Amino acid sequence: MRLKVWGARGSVPAPGPEMNRYGGNTSCVEITLASGEHLILDAGTGIRTLGLDLTVSPHVNILLTHLHLDHIQGLMFFPPCFRADADITIWGPASPEASLEDRVARYISAPLSPVEVRELPCDVSFRDTPPSEWQLGSATIRCEAINHRGPTLGFRITEGDTTLCYIPDHEPALGTVLGDTDPEWISGYDLARDADLLIHDCQYADDEYPLHVGWGHSGMSDALTFASCVGARRMLLFHHDPLHADGFLDDLHAAARRRWAELGGDPALITMAREGEELEVGTAATPAGLTTTA
Amino acid sequence: MGTMAAQKPLELILARNLLTSISTPAFLVDQDAALVFYNEAAGALLGRSFEDVGRMSPEEWTSRYGPFDSNGQPLELDELPTTRAVRDGRPAHAVFTIRSATGSKREIESSAFPIVASEEGSSGAMIFFWPQDGDEAEDA
Repeated sequence: MRLKVWGARGSVPAPGPEMNRYGGNTSCVEITLASGEHLILDAGTGIRTLGLDLTVSPHVNILLTHLHLDHIQGLMFFPPCFRADADITIWGPASPEASLEDRVARYISAPLSPVEVRELPCDVSFRDTPPSEWQLGSATIRCEAINHRGPTLGFRITEGDTTLCYIPDHEPALGTVLGDTDPEWISGYDLARDADLLIHDCQYADDEYPLHVGWGHSGMSDALTFASCVGARRMLLFHHDPLHADGFLDDLHAAARRRWAELGGDPALITMAREGEELEVGTAATPAGLTTTA
Repeated sequence: MGTMAAQKPLELILARNLLTSISTPAFLVDQDAALVFYNEAAGALLGRSFEDVGRMSPEEWTSRYGPFDSNGQPLELDELPTTRAVRDGRPAHAVFTIRSATGSKREIESSAFPIVASEEGSSGAMIFFWPQDGDEAEDA
């Protein structure tokens, strides 16, 4: 299983020279399975450049964790949406209020958009994520509701012996102290348990979090404590706050590695997500389990 | 970190976090009406903290704490607000007497609210207790 980060920013795109190394595009991660199948996790603005890279007849599955704008904003600018030979399936959380298509169409419709979903030339379908696991290519997908503001999913993707867990927006410490909480009472625990790679919300430094309790995101120490609780082998810290420039994220990364060491882990296994980064998610055969290839 | 029991549904986790944060005595039961948590205020009312007693089946917690009707007779499990909320997916209210771990009895007004997150029915219920003033009495 290979992945490429196309957008690691949270909340709103944050372009600018001071953001160049970590990138300013919002949430989007591409997974390429051994079967050749492409999975795209979220459709933040990073999906636009991903789409430019898809030159062959695209058949893609887009898995949306939720419908906040930083996770769907790039959909309208995803080049395959405007190709008649493209086959796109969009998966997202079910709602008793409206279909997934109708909810996404609130964005891809006038006056916010010059085109309507029905006008897209691609073959696009919208699917509610099923309550039980399902198969996409060679991967088994499972999703669960997790603690964020509004209905939000996390995804667990397993191919062979390798498991990746993607929970970009998550505040598991809301109303509880993670280190003192039994696992059965931790949001996202089953989803992330023993993952080879956990991609997880780390929007705030620890001293910022008290001003953002209940906003649906994690402070650095809570994110790491969650990773420790679930036994994640590697962690990619994700959903960077738009106010955090490269230098700040470098410092946050260093602090996270120190904190991970305090929790008994290997600091080298904690990484900040960077736009354009490509990773090979390995099996449990090697302690690293993951190597940077670009 | 405790046992490796299956993770609770998110809505129960959030409900527990809420109950932890308030000073109104409250229970949380799962879809089988088993008591899976009560908060510190309920612990003060019952004379024992949840951490001391842990998860209890409906039969266990009713045999420990009651409740009883005005004649001192145990209430039928099926008629408890908790059971009705989980079973019927509707709120339920009652006034009854409970017995704490120290043997004292309190008259309690209780409201149970089902927690429904999907079309599959209740995943549990929250039950809030309001003790009636001036009716505490020790068992003979």
